[in-house]
Amino acid sequence: MILSELSLAYGNTTVLDGIDLQTKRNFSILGANGSGKSTLAKALCGLIPYEGSILIDEQELRGMEPKERAKKIAYIPSKMQSFEQFTSVEEFVLLGRYPYKSSFKDYCDSDKKRVKEILEELNISSLAKSNLDALSSGQQQLVLISQALAQESDYIIFDEPTANLDPRNTQLFLQEFKKLRQNHTTVLITHDIQLASHLSDPVLFIKEKAAKFYESGFFEKEFLSLSYDVKFKNENGLIGIEYV
Amino acid sequence: MSKALIWIFLLLLALLSPFVGIATLDIDTLLESGSLSNRIFFDLRLPRILLAFMVGGSLALAGLLFQTLFRNALMTPFTLGVSGGAVLGAGIAIKLGLGLTLGISAVSLFGFGGALFTIVLLILLSRYLLKARQESLLLLGIALSFFYSSALMVLFYLSSFTETATIMRFTMGSLSIVGYSNVIIISIASLFLLLLLWFKRFELQLLALSDEQAALKGINTRRLSYLLLLITSIIIGVVVSLTGPIGFIGLIIPHMVRRLYQKSVVSLIVPVFLIGGLFLLACDTLTRFLSSSSEIPIGVLTALIGGPFFIYLIISRQR
Repeated sequence: MILSELSLAYGNTTVLDGIDLQTKRNFSILGANGSGKSTLAKALCGLIPYEGSILIDEQELRGMEPKERAKKIAYIPSKMQSFEQFTSVEEFVLLGRYPYKSSFKDYCDSDKKRVKEILEELNISSLAKSNLDALSSGQQQLVLISQALAQESDYIIFDEPTANLDPRNTQLFLQEFKKLRQNHTTVLITHDIQLASHLSDPVLFIKEKAAKFYESGFFEKEFLSLSYDVKFKNENGLIGIEYV
Repeated sequence: MSKALIWIFLLLLALLSPFVGIATLDIDTLLESGSLSNRIFFDLRLPRILLAFMVGGSLALAGLLFQTLFRNALMTPFTLGVSGGAVLGAGIAIKLGLGLTLGISAVSLFGFGGALFTIVLLILLSRYLLKARQESLLLLGIALSFFYSSALMVLFYLSSFTETATIMRFTMGSLSIVGYSNVIIISIASLFLLLLLWFKRFELQLLALSDEQAALKGINTRRLSYLLLLITSIIIGVVVSLTGPIGFIGLIIPHMVRRLYQKSVVSLIVPVFLIGGLFLLACDTLTRFLSSSSEIPIGVLTALIGGPFFIYLIISRQR
């Protein structure tokens, strides 16, 4: 993924100005609320227009066919949205196969088979017939991951996946997250410093419209304190905010 | 209520439909060509049944489409003021005393124009209201409806007694027709809408989640949404211009079918069309059954059923 002189606007205000980044690996995006993390994520998915260049596997994102783009990049929102209360988990995950479906045709059997396999892999086969609005936050996150897996994209962008999860579900999420990183490049947007430092991916830190890429060394407490303007502490290797 | 029960009830009323009306059909001479019963059956009752079915089906489908695209159960062509536009257009044509234009009745043409104008206006305005577009659009629709009904009042004020009566009759909606020409037009439009939504059912399923989800899976959401809205509105314009406004079908039926089938939009398109058609047919049968001398206008009956249902819908949303 290569970003060069990338500028993004939200309405009339510039959110990010002149970002340069070159990486072939997983990375995390960190930054304060409203710093433009989600806007950047949306740009990386091709959802919003941008100035400058986003090259993904040597292809300019802007010029990609929507379906081809979907085969390259998947995006997992922090919360599930749906107007229809009667969409089953199975149906929802099957939608991940949409970019591969031929127009005017139903999903083929191999698509449905793939969905079954994915649900089994993630141990949520029992939820297949459940409706989306009957799921807990933890289950929702697993279902969202299933859909992204069905999409078979090379890149998966996670937008604050653990924001609504309890410790147990965070752990469950992390297991699946690590598994899928064997075959996918992940971009993780998060406020969870502990999670990010545990993964020890390079960090793209966004502050005051600029983004800086740190290959390592971001999770020193002094550096974190400076970046976030909040005092951090490090007790027995556990980084956290020093509450006052 | 179970699915089967509703189907049986609606189908029964549909079967009964041709035999209910001011004139009683004589079964013995029914198939004798040229007999009075035969002519009533084939020239009046049968086209009317077809018309009711097709109109009901297309209104219900249009409702389903609007609700899905805007992800709001209150969004239908009618709540957005499309019918108000049609009524005003038709009213103007009646007031101006326009007859046939290019072989089409001016009332229909103006009615169609009013409906189309409204939807184009809403689409244009919605581009500026993308962020909060659901609520804003609904409010715009309400504002437009008020404007149209006030403009209609002005028209009434300026019109003669006969003109007023003619306009009033149009606003009540009607399925009475003679012959097949309008039925054919509306059937083609309805079936086209059915096919269109059927072919786009998987796209609709994604759009029902969110525009973002749909775009992420490779759909050009903006182009598709506007295209579907425009085509559907043109079809609704055709229907309303020929029958007058028949409200609430688009609101009630998709909601009812969704509850009944407990499925997502992908499996609702055909049931919504069929139940919508049968429901309006049942309503039409009821109007003919309830009064023996003259018929209660169909639009009045659907509104009488739909009004309380609308209130129920709003209250149940709060829970």
